[in-house]
Amino acid sequence: MSQSLLPECTPLKKEYDACFNSWFEGYLEPAVAAASSQEARAAYSKKKAEEFQAKCGKVWESYKACVQQAVKAKGLDKLLEQAREENPLVDPPPPSTLHK
Amino acid sequence: MSNDSWSIVTLAFFLRYPNPYAAHVVSCDVISREQTSSGSLVTTRLILKKGAMPRWFPKGIVSRAESWVIEESEVDPFGKTVRCVTKNLDHVKVMQVEESVSYTQLPEGRTLQHTEARVISRFGWGLTKRIENHGLSKFKANLQRSREGVSLILSLLRQSRLQPMTLGIENSHQHPVFPPNTNDDDAAPQKPNNTAWSRLKSWFQPPTPTQS
Repeated sequence: MSQSLLPECTPLKKEYDACFNSWFEGYLEPAVAAASSQEARAAYSKKKAEEFQAKCGKVWESYKACVQQAVKAKGLDKLLEQAREENPLVDPPPPSTLHK
Repeated sequence: MSNDSWSIVTLAFFLRYPNPYAAHVVSCDVISREQTSSGSLVTTRLILKKGAMPRWFPKGIVSRAESWVIEESEVDPFGKTVRCVTKNLDHVKVMQVEESVSYTQLPEGRTLQHTEARVISRFGWGLTKRIENHGLSKFKANLQRSREGVSLILSLLRQSRLQPMTLGIENSHQHPVFPPNTNDDDAAPQKPNNTAWSRLKSWFQPPTPTQS
């Protein structure tokens, strides 16, 4: 696993990556029934989210805090904000959030 | 086009750094990640890449040949698709490269990869076209390398899944389909060392357990 942008965050990053990856491997292969209906999907997602929270939630919070601090310290937060404004992946926002 | 299943290709794609074909990747961080209401996983990663400026490029304008790259991805495990867009955050006036990759599962269990890039320069000084062409030819040259990187990881994953000890895992993927609200995935006891990922991990860092 590669380094974090701040060496101090690298141990947390590695711990988080390892935890996430083994969770992710399972997340990618929902049982066929889980895709059958909206409710089944929602149930699967909820279960997976809870599983992640239980297994990796803590290290994710620490790692995220570490990186966010580093991002601010390096002044990257402004660059990120600009990029977010033109995020091509975000679907058209629901009408309520169009004008914030 | 890959003969591998969508889930293993997607896993390899997310595990692709570091690999010997991506020595230019300095750091890679997840800065946000959440599940959407539809059950997809949306991730933003911040990646620092180093590179060299072409010799003909005016000196002194780009002080360091490093670039921050943002990668936004969305994984839909039900529709079996991944979409991923990367673009550079700095030096955008010199050159903005936006690359889109998608992996989609095909009916026969194979996986279709689609990659495209847009290169835009607002540099001026008569160099705009030259910069754009340079960026585009670099993209084409690097595409091969980045695919080789992913397929290297893919073959490591494949090998680790083929090991005899994975037999238990194969079973856990094929256990009968229960109604969705039963904890079917939890039926398999947690054996952290039994997934392809964890074996791949020990491949990368064999000697020391990750204790610091």
